[in-house]
Amino acid sequence: MATEPATPNGHRDGHAMKPPGWYEGETITRRRMFTGGAMALGGIAGAAIGLPAIGFALGPVFKNSKVTWQDVGPPGDFTADNYVPKTITLTSDIGEAGKSTVYIRKSNPELPGEKTGEFVAISTRCAHAGCPVRWVTAAERFVCPCHGGVYDFQGKVTGGPPVRPLDRFATRVTNGQVQIGPRFSVNSQLKRFSPRDPGEHLDGLWKYIYPKRFTTPPPQ
Amino acid sequence: MNSREKEEYLREYQILKNQGKPFFPYAVVKDSAMAVITLGVIIALAIILGSGELQNKADPTTTTYTPRPEWYFFFLFELLRVIKPPSLVILATVGIPTLLLVAVLLLPFYDRNPERRPERRPIATTFGIAVIALMAYLTYLGAHAGAPDQIELKVAPAVRPGLVVANQSGCGACHKFGEAGNAGPGPNLTKVGGRLPRDAIARTLVNPTAPMPSYKALPPKKFNALVDFLASLR
Amino acid sequence: MAIRVPKLPLRGNRHRQPWPLEEQEHNGEVQLRERAAELQAGIVGWVDERTGASGFLRGFLFRKVPKGTNWFYTLGSATMFAFLSQAVTGVFLAMYYDPSPTGAYDSVQHITNDVFLGSLVRGMHRWGATVMVVLIFLHMGRTFFFGAYKYPRELNWVVGVVLLVLTLAMALTGYLLPFDQRSFWATVVAVNINGTAPFIGPYLADFLRSGPEFGATTLTRFYSIHMLLIPVLIAALIGVHIYLVTKLGTTAPPWLKAELPEPLEKERV
Repeated sequence: MATEPATPNGHRDGHAMKPPGWYEGETITRRRMFTGGAMALGGIAGAAIGLPAIGFALGPVFKNSKVTWQDVGPPGDFTADNYVPKTITLTSDIGEAGKSTVYIRKSNPELPGEKTGEFVAISTRCAHAGCPVRWVTAAERFVCPCHGGVYDFQGKVTGGPPVRPLDRFATRVTNGQVQIGPRFSVNSQLKRFSPRDPGEHLDGLWKYIYPKRFTTPPPQ
Repeated sequence: MNSREKEEYLREYQILKNQGKPFFPYAVVKDSAMAVITLGVIIALAIILGSGELQNKADPTTTTYTPRPEWYFFFLFELLRVIKPPSLVILATVGIPTLLLVAVLLLPFYDRNPERRPERRPIATTFGIAVIALMAYLTYLGAHAGAPDQIELKVAPAVRPGLVVANQSGCGACHKFGEAGNAGPGPNLTKVGGRLPRDAIARTLVNPTAPMPSYKALPPKKFNALVDFLASLR
Repeated sequence: MAIRVPKLPLRGNRHRQPWPLEEQEHNGEVQLRERAAELQAGIVGWVDERTGASGFLRGFLFRKVPKGTNWFYTLGSATMFAFLSQAVTGVFLAMYYDPSPTGAYDSVQHITNDVFLGSLVRGMHRWGATVMVVLIFLHMGRTFFFGAYKYPRELNWVVGVVLLVLTLAMALTGYLLPFDQRSFWATVVAVNINGTAPFIGPYLADFLRSGPEFGATTLTRFYSIHMLLIPVLIAALIGVHIYLVTKLGTTAPPWLKAELPEPLEKERV
C-alpha cells in the first residue's frame, strides 16, 4: 500500500491522489478501517439472514427418514406366478397423496437370484421418469404409459428407455403377516442399492455419478 | 464486431432514431392496443374454455392413469419418448435441454456478425428456423402420443371385442397402433392385417420371437377376437 | 372560492398549453377552464418539486423510437401485460387457495364452483399462462430474427433468456397447485428429470421435493417458489430489461438503411 501522502490534500509527485468522497482532514487509515468494518459487519448481517434461510431450505436434503414396516396381508394372499396389487403408505399424514401401489408375489426359486420362502414386492414407480407402471397379466409385463418403458416378470427392462429394473421394497413375515419395509433400488443384475430416483443408472461407473442420498435408510 | 463496425452501427442507429417518432403516444398506442388484445384473448379463453377440467384428485396409487405434461412441454416429453437407449436417457433429460439453453443464452457472444437482415445471415436464420421447426414437430408428436392401453382405431363393430382384448393385453406397450402405443421394440401393427395372413398372426401370438411374450394362455374366445381384430387392420 | 395557484419553480408546466383555449361567449367559462388547467398543473408541480420525476418521465415517454418501428415491437410489452394479469389473478386466487396436500384440491374446487367469478379468475390465470408462454417465445423469435441481440444489446438478451427460464419455472411450479392427477404426475416426472443431473441430481431432487418422497412440504415448497421467490425475480429482471431497452433504445427493423450524408456513405462497409 502506498505511504501516507506527503501533503494534506494528497498530492504526490505532482499528481492528485484523492480517493472518491475524500474530505479535508481525512486520513487513509481511518478510511481503511471503516471500509473493512463495513464489509465485515455487512457480511455478518448478510450471513445472519442468509445462512439460516439456506439451511432451512436445504434441511430436507440431509434429514434421515425412519424405517417403517407395514402389514399387507397373510402369506396365503400371494402366489408365485402372478402379482397382487396392494396399497401402502409412503408418507403418513398427508392422506391419499402419501400412498402408493406395490405388486407382491411369492419368490420363484427357478428365477435367477430368488430363494424360496421370500416375497418380492415391486414398486410401480417407473425407473425412467417416475410414471405409474401397471402389471398386464396377459402379456406378463409391466407397462409404463408415458415414454414406452416395458419390464418383464422380475421387473427387468425389456423395452423402452428405463435405465434400471423397477425398485423393490424390503419384505419380511411377522406374526403371520407379510410386511413391506423401506424401498431399495436394483441394478440390471438385481444387486441391491440404496434407493435412487428414477432415471439414475446403477450399473458400473454410473453409481458414482448418482451417489447415495442422505435421506434414505441403508438397504435392509 | 470490431470497433469500426460498432461505431458504424451506432451512427446509423442514431440517424434512424432521430428520424423516428416519440414513444408516447405513437408506440404506446400500439402497445396499449396489443395489451387490450392480449387481455381480451385471455378473458375470452377463460370464458369459452372455462377454467379447464379439474381431473380426479392426485392419486399416487393409480395403475390406470396416463400422465401427460402441459402442451408447452410436449417437445421435451416427446424427446424422452424418442430417445430409447437407456444410456442416452441422460441426454434427453438434462443433456439436450441444457445444451439448448446454454446455446441460446450465449448467442450474442458467438454470433458477432454485424449483419442484421435475416436474409443475409444464412447460418443464424437456418438454425433458427430449424430449431423452431423441430420443436414444433416434437410438440405435434407429443400431442398425438396415445397411451399404450388406449388403442382407438376405427374398426368394424364385429372386431371391436378384439380391440378391447388388445388394450387389456398390453400390446400397445411394444407396438404402435395408429397414434396409440409405443414405437418399439415391436413393429408397427396399424396395417398388420394387410401384411400377414390370419394364421400367421395366430402363430406369432402363440410362438413369438423374443422378447415378445406368448399369448397362448389367453382363453380361446379372447384369443380369436384378438386375431380377428389384428387381421382386420388394413 | 378562489384557488390560489402556487408558484411553480420548474419550467415544464408553465409553458404547457395543451390546446388553445377557445374564445367563449362567457368570460366565466374561460376562467373556469384556465383554473382547472392550473389546478392540475399545480398538483403535478407539487409532486414534481418533491420527486424530480418530470425529467425522468419526459425522457422516458418522449424518447424517440427509430423509424420503422412496427407491430412486432409490441410483443415484449404484451408479455409484460400477460405477466401482470397473472400476478393480479394470482393474488386473488391465493386468497382462497389452501396449500396442503389434503386441502388443495378441494380449495380449487371451491374457487371454481362457489366463489363469485372464481371460475373466471382461475380460467384467466390458467389461460394467461399459455398466452404468456406463447408471447414470450414470439418475442424471443422476433428479437432473434431482427438481430436485436447484437451489440450493444447483448446483456438485454441474457436478461431475457433468464426471464424465459423463470417463466417456464413459474409454469412448472404453478402446475402442481391444483393437485389433481395431471398436476401430481407432471410434477413427479419433472422432479425426477432434475434428479438425473450428474452428481448433484439426487440432492437437487431431494431439495425440490423436500425429502425422498413426495410429502406435505413439497406442495408448500412449490407454492412458496411460485408465489414469492420467482415473481420477485421476474419483476426485478423486467425492471432491468426495460431499463436497458430505454437506455439503449429498440432496434430499427433490420431491412432499413439510414441515409447517411455523402462523405460517410462512401465510407460505409
